[in-house]
Formats: sequence, structure tokens, C-alpha cells
Amino acid sequence: MYYLGVDVGSVSTDLVLLNQNKQVVEKLYLRTKGKPIAAVQEGFRMLKNKYGNSEILAAGTTGSGRQIASTLIGADAVKNEITAHAVAALDTDGDVRTIIEIGGQDSKIIVLKNGIVTDFAMNTVCAAGTGSFLDRQAERLEIPIEAFGDYALKANSYVRIAGRCAVFAESDMIHKQQLGYNEGEIIRGLCHALVRNYLNNVAKGKEIKDKIFFQGGVAANKGMKAAFEESLGIQVVIPEHYNMMGAIGAAIIAKEKVEKAGKTNFKGFDLADSVFQSKSFECEGCSNGCEVVNIQENENVIGCFGDRCGKWGSKLAM
Amino acid sequence: MKITFPHMGNVYFAAKALFDDLGVEYVIPPLTSKGSLEIGSLHSGEEICLPFKIMIGNYMQAIEQGADTVLITGSCGPCRFGEYCELQMNLLNNLGHNLDFIVIDSPGDIGVKELIRRLGKISTGSEYNRLQKFKALLNAVKVVNLIDEVEAKARYLAGFEANRGQCKKILIECKQEAIKCNSGKSMIEILNHYLDKLNQVPIDQRKEPIKIAIIGEIYTVIEPFSNLYIEDKLMDYGISTKRMLTPSWWLKNLVLSPMNMNQLDIKKKSKEYLPMMIGGHARECIGEAVLAYEEGFDGAIQIFPMGCMPEIVSKAILPKISKDKDFPIMTLVVDEMTGEAGYVTRIEAFVDLLERRKDNVLSRC
Repeated sequence: MYYLGVDVGSVSTDLVLLNQNKQVVEKLYLRTKGKPIAAVQEGFRMLKNKYGNSEILAAGTTGSGRQIASTLIGADAVKNEITAHAVAALDTDGDVRTIIEIGGQDSKIIVLKNGIVTDFAMNTVCAAGTGSFLDRQAERLEIPIEAFGDYALKANSYVRIAGRCAVFAESDMIHKQQLGYNEGEIIRGLCHALVRNYLNNVAKGKEIKDKIFFQGGVAANKGMKAAFEESLGIQVVIPEHYNMMGAIGAAIIAKEKVEKAGKTNFKGFDLADSVFQSKSFECEGCSNGCEVVNIQENENVIGCFGDRCGKWGSKLAM
Repeated sequence: MKITFPHMGNVYFAAKALFDDLGVEYVIPPLTSKGSLEIGSLHSGEEICLPFKIMIGNYMQAIEQGADTVLITGSCGPCRFGEYCELQMNLLNNLGHNLDFIVIDSPGDIGVKELIRRLGKISTGSEYNRLQKFKALLNAVKVVNLIDEVEAKARYLAGFEANRGQCKKILIECKQEAIKCNSGKSMIEILNHYLDKLNQVPIDQRKEPIKIAIIGEIYTVIEPFSNLYIEDKLMDYGISTKRMLTPSWWLKNLVLSPMNMNQLDIKKKSKEYLPMMIGGHARECIGEAVLAYEEGFDGAIQIFPMGCMPEIVSKAILPKISKDKDFPIMTLVVDEMTGEAGYVTRIEAFVDLLERRKDNVLSRC
């Protein structure tokens, strides 16, 4: 018997199955590539042959694509990433006080006290200080992002690179390259720029206390862990399933919800073979001009989003 | 002369009542939408704040319908809003639209005589006598007070209503009916009718909803499009909200400011953290945060457009208030983005935080 968690993020779509002791038995890390429906379907195709529909006791979704994923799979719980990450971290270690989470398009800090979230912050209007910044620079240096951390650790010193925004950083980095600094030093400099940006922007005014969890896709980068430890002077812990924490949290929340409600809404793995279509149109009912998205499964409408008055969509569960 | 004006929350109800009663020609721009923002950002400087862009969008859409005169409010306070009228006049001129601007400003800045002259300009197309014009103005003031009262009541009761969604339905219906009226008098009747309706909404006495105060920059808290309809969203979650800054509040503030009798409570409450006026509504923001805490609210959400100087200052002060009073405050910065996923995440997480805090406090009792 398993609990399914789905985290549809901007860069990756993660699926996990937890057993009844909340242990991870299956984890899938897929690229979203701007097609959340296809990504969820792909994951389900992989799970379909191994697990039966009735083995899933509860399903939860999170991430920026949580609503659409929930409509698709019939989720019992739809939760924002912040709560999901906090739940997963607390389940891993009850002593966590600070969670640093850096994903593809957003970064967050979550402050916990006595097992509850007491404060949090997310990056504001742009993606500076997030994984996409590193991704972009890796591309420019023609170094695979997976190898970034190793390069950074090999360098003995680092060059200072402006971290305010990816555009600033890029021109600064090019200048430094032209001066002849080696790649390792520049990459380590980039990690420091990102950490500086995170601490001055997202984490500004927040108390960072031990024990610190570092999760999200960027935690794979050893250079980032080292840069955080250097700046904070505290050891940073990377949980085993650092890139699955959102999905794990969603599964745990779904488990709790179903235990209260008594039954699951999970629609089963068969949707892997369905044909999904999404159409958007501008509603002409009033001057609001809402952009409505209509999701169809095998030509049956399964969900509508985007309208303000509730004319098209039903009220979404929170 | 065909008057138009930029949208700002419920202002268009009062404007319609005023122009109807004066018998002058007017254009109400289509309610702010992605379309207006698109037009506005096409013509505006990239670095100007969001309200400016939306307003330009409103003007352009009104010009399409034949508007030739713009009625806006001014401000001589140290914030970019004070430059809006001049910049907008130039911008529209450069685009080949030679519009007449009527700028209503505080009598403390332009003098009572000048204010009356400018107000008089609005009614130059009117055939009515001075008494009737004065009555039209009074009715418009009544309308703006009433519609803000209806809205505030509906938003606050949303947390207590026995039948979920009833307040929102009444509010939507009220606005639909009110805008159909053709005179200030009939609009006042409609608004009073809906106020009664809200007073009779069945209340669930056992409910202890989360209560959130909406604070921050005046335009972005009032104009729902600019804050991605945050109050509607919170209403759907069954949360009571309160927002002090409204068009009627602004009007009252404007009238009382020459006597220095305006917002005495705000001045008192903000004194410890920000004892002076630094422009925009930063002091109000700070005062409202303290007030919200004292009134037993669970938290506050500050909203401001990217690059808003006064609110950046208050944003830096709010964590201190939050820490001193153990009162959660979240800041949302709005700009041209209309993708809501990121905002919804933050709002939901904030609501989760408040709910869990509340449970925790209760468990300790």
C-alpha cells in the first residue's frame, strides 16, 4: 500500500511513492519541459506496470503546476510548495529550524519553530538567486550543470561576480573570463554570487538557525553547499531525497487527509494512455476578459481554470 | 468635452453618479484587464511603476471611445505619483492625443480657490445650476462611501458567513446592479439595498476565521487587477479581510489634511517606527500594521508595485514590527506579470502559516 506525491515544478516533475512507514520506495525525477500534463503522464506510464491502482491509498500534488496535476490525477490534497517542503523536512528530522530551498524558478527560506512554520519568504519578481541563473551560466561556459559543483570545489579561490541579476552577472563573468581567470574560480564565484544574492534578497531579515536543511534541485551542486557553509559558518545538511522533498510532503499531507476522509479520489494510472488537450479562450461574459483554460481528457472536460467569477471552473480545493 | 478617468477600485461608481447627475458626457474605460496593461506597457517607460502603465492603458481604451478630457488626482508628495499627470500629458501628446487634463489636488497644495476652479471645469458642459451641481457632488461622495462600505462589509463577513460564497455573490451582484443606474439617487438606493442584504447574511457564530489586513501602496491595494484579485481569493478561502485604504478614505483624508485632522490614529500608531511622512503611504502602511495587530488580526499582507520607494522603506520596517509583536506580515511585490501561480503559492502558504499558528495557540490554552 502506497502514498503518491506529485510535485510539478517549472524545471522538474517529481513523483514519489511512500510506503506506510513514510519511506520512499520509488522516486522519479522528470523534466517538465513546459508540458506538465505530458510529464505527469510519462511518470504514470513508468509506474503503471509496477503498481496497481488499488495499491495507492492517497495522492497529493504540489508545485506551481499543482492545480492542473490535481485535476489530472484526482488528488486528495493540493498543497503549496512551502508547506509541502516544510512537512517533508520535519518528517525527516524534527529538529530542523531553517530550510533553504532553491529550485529552478524560485527560491525560498522557511523558518520553523516547535515544528511549525513561523516565517517564510520567496524571491520576488524575478528568477535571480535561483537555479535558472546557474543553468544559464553553465550553458554559457559549456559545462554540464551536473559537473558544476566539482569544478567549484577544485578551485582554491574565487572571483567576485555581481549577483544582482543574471544579466549583470553574465557581463561581469564575461569580463572576468577575458582577464584569464580559470573556469573553476569563475564557477566558484558564481556559487558565491548566488548565495550572496539569496542571503541579501530572499533571506533578508530572517533568522537562520541551526539545523539547516538545503533542498531543491540546486542542492545537488556541491559548490553551493560549500558556499553556503562558508558564508553562514554553520554546517548545512542536505537530506537524502533533497530533490523530492516537495513530492514527499505532498504524499504525507495526502496520507493525513485520506486518513481523515476515509477514501481517496485517485483516478488511477490509466490516464497515462488518455489523450489530454488544453484549449484557452478569452471569456466574453463581462469586461474582466478572463483567460480561461479548458482541460479535456479524451474529449471530456475535466477542468477549467482562470475565470474569476466561477462561471467555468468549479471552486478549487485548497 | 468627453471626460474619462483612470480606474482605481470602486471610483467608477462615484464618477458615473457624478457625471450622470451633472449631465456631462463621459467615458468609463473598460475595467482594467490584461488588454489595458498590454497597451499601457507598450507606451510607457519600462522603469515606471505598474499603476502608471495601467492608467495609460485605461486612457488609451477610453480615447478609442472618444474621450478628450482626463480627470485625475494629483499629489505633491515625494513619490512618483506626483509626476504622473505631467508625464502622462506628455506621453499622450507624443502619441498624438491632445487631451485636456483636470488634476484634482489637495487644497493644502494648490489652494482652495484653485481647487474650486478645477472642480468647476468638470461641470463646464453641464446645463444645471450651482445647487444641482453641488447636489451631484454630494451624491457622488455618498456613492463612494456606500460602495466602499458594502465592499468592506462583504470582505469582512466572508469569514463568518454560514453559507460559503454568499457574501461574494452579493458583492458581485451589487456592483452589476449599481453600475446600471443612471443617477446618483438611484445608485444610492441600490447600494443601500445591498447593504441591508449584507446585514441579513446568516452568520455562523462558531466560526473563528483567519483575519488578514491588506496594507501597502494605495493604488495596488485598491485596484483589484493590479494585485491579481487578492481579496477575492482570500474570500474564497473563507478569510476575513480588512483594507483601510479606499477611495472614500482617500477623500476623507484629502478634506481633513489642511486642518491636520487627518488619520490621527495612523499617526499615533506609526510614531514608534516611522515618525514622519516620507512620501506615498508608507506611514499609513506602518500604522495599519500596528493597528491590525492591536485589533486582533492574525496577519497582514503588504502589497506594492516594484520600485515603489515609500513602500520599500516600510518593507524594511515591517520585520521589526513583526518581531516585536509576534505578528506575521508577508510582502507581495506586483509588476506586469499576470501568471498567478507564484502569488497563489505565497498566499496559500501564508494562510497555512496563520492557521497552524492559531491551532498551536489554541492547543496551549
